[in-house]
Amino acid sequence: MSRRSEAYFHGIPMRPYDLIREGLIVFGVITILVIIFAAIFSSPDYPTVRGEDVAKRQPIAFTKTSVSFLSGDSGISTYGPPYTRDFDDAQKVLGIAPAKWFGVTIPLNPPVDFVIKPLERVSVFDKGVAAALKTYKAASPKQQLNWASAYFKVLDKATFVNGQVKVPNGNYGPVPTMAAGMLNLGRAGLLEGALQSDARLPYQLNFTKSLLFFQDDVDHSVANSLNLLGEQWGLSNETGNYPGAWWLWPYAFWYQIPAIASSPNGDLIVGLIMLAIFLVIFFVPFIPVLNGLLPRGLQVYKWVWRDWYHRGRPAVAERERKAG
Amino acid sequence: MNLTERTQKFFTGNLTLEDALPTQMPAYVNSFVYLFGVSALSALGLLVLTGFIMALFGPNWYHLTRVGRFFNSLHFWSVQFFFFALVSHLVTKYLTASWRDGRWKTWMLGLLAFGAAVLTGLTGFLSQSNWDSQWIAVQAKDAMNSLGVGALFNAMNYTQVLTLHIFFLPVILSAVVLIHLYFIRSEGSVKPIRRGE
Repeated sequence: MSRRSEAYFHGIPMRPYDLIREGLIVFGVITILVIIFAAIFSSPDYPTVRGEDVAKRQPIAFTKTSVSFLSGDSGISTYGPPYTRDFDDAQKVLGIAPAKWFGVTIPLNPPVDFVIKPLERVSVFDKGVAAALKTYKAASPKQQLNWASAYFKVLDKATFVNGQVKVPNGNYGPVPTMAAGMLNLGRAGLLEGALQSDARLPYQLNFTKSLLFFQDDVDHSVANSLNLLGEQWGLSNETGNYPGAWWLWPYAFWYQIPAIASSPNGDLIVGLIMLAIFLVIFFVPFIPVLNGLLPRGLQVYKWVWRDWYHRGRPAVAERERKAG
Repeated sequence: MNLTERTQKFFTGNLTLEDALPTQMPAYVNSFVYLFGVSALSALGLLVLTGFIMALFGPNWYHLTRVGRFFNSLHFWSVQFFFFALVSHLVTKYLTASWRDGRWKTWMLGLLAFGAAVLTGLTGFLSQSNWDSQWIAVQAKDAMNSLGVGALFNAMNYTQVLTLHIFFLPVILSAVVLIHLYFIRSEGSVKPIRRGE
C-alpha cells in the first residue's frame, strides 16, 4: 500500500478481496444482460421523414412548408443567430442573449436557400418554373411578399385534386407555379440533394438545410403522433416502447411547466436552470446542508454500512465468515 | 533531477501496485452499492467495444443488415445499463457523502464524467441517422443556440456529430474516468460516517 493509503486505513480491519475477479464477474453479468435485452427487444429505428414521403402523402403540408420560406412564416425566417441577422429574436434572460455572442455563423437566407436555389435546378428542365422564377425575381420585395403571404394564407383552404394543389382564385403571381415546382422536386426524391446546393457534391457532409426544411409543422406533426413533443416529455422519450434518454428527465421536467414551455425564451431558461443545478451538484462537497445534513438526515448510509455499525453481533460475524 | 526517480517516488507515495490492484479491502466495503461503479465501467467497456465494431462497418451496416442491427441493439442497451449504473453510483455516493476526507476531487471528476457521458449520449442519439436523430437535431439546436453553443456545435451537421461521438467525446470521457479511477484507487474507499459526525 502507498504511504497515503496506509495512513488512512490505519487501524481499520481489512478483508480479502480480488479486484480482477470482481471486475470480470460484473462485466460478464452486464454483457449477458445486454445480449438478452438486445436479442429480445432489439432497438428503435424509425425511418426518417423525407421530402419524397411528405410530397406524396401530405402534398398540401409540403406546399405550405415551401411557401412559408417565401412569406416569412417559417420558424427559421426570423430565427436570429446563428442563422439570420434578426438579433432581437435571440432568446434572452435578464437582457443577456448568449446566442448573440458569436453572431451569424451559419448564414441562411430562407427564401433563397430553401426555395429559389432548389428551383433554379428545376428550371433547367421545366420552362414553366423557369418563367415563374424570372417573374418572381423581377418583382419588388414588397410584391414578392404580398404574393407569397396571400398564397400561404389561402393554402388553409386548399384541396388536392388530380395531382395538383387547388386554391380559390386570387393574386398569387408566380408563387403557385414555384410551389408546384418544389412539390415535383419533392415527389422526385430530389429535394434534399437540391437543398444542399453548396455541398461538396457528390459528398454530403452537412444536412443542416435538409433537416431545417421540415422542422416546423411537418416534424411537429410526426413527433406529436409519436409522443415526442417537449410537453410530452419528448426530450427523454424514444420512439416506440423503448426507454429513451431517461437521465434527461430533470431537463424535460422544466418543459412541463406551461409558463416555461410557452415562453419565447424557454430553451435559455431551462438551459440556465440545468447549468445552475449541475454547478450546485458539482460543488456539493463545499455547500452547507447539502454536504452534510441532507445525506445524514436521509440515513441511507446506515443501511449501506449496517454490517460495519453492527460488527461484533453474531449474525454479522456469520455473514462476514461466509463472505470470506 | 532524475525524472524516473521522481516518477517512482510519486507512485510509491500515491499509487502502489497494491492500491491499483488491491487484494484486500476495508471491512466496511461490504454492500452491493459498491458494484454500481464497476457496473458503469463494464457497460462503458461494452459501449466502446460495440461502438468500435459499428464504426468499423459503418451506418449502412448497422441499419440494413441483421448482424449490424444486432450490434446496434447491443450498443443501445449498453447505453441504458451504463446510465442506470452511473446514476445509481452517483446517487449512492451522494447518500453516503463520499466526498469526505478530502475526496472532493473524486466527486467532481465523477460529475465531469457524467456531463461528458450525457454529451456523448446526445451525439449518439444524433448519430443514429433515423427519425429520432432528425427530430432531436432540430430540437437540440434550439437549446444549443439559446446558450450560444450553436456557433461551435451544429446538431444538424452529421459529420461533426458523428466524429464527436465516435472519437472526441469518448476520448474525453475515458480520460476523465481514468483520472477518477486514479483518485479512487489512490485514496481508497471513504470511511463510514461516524455516529454523531
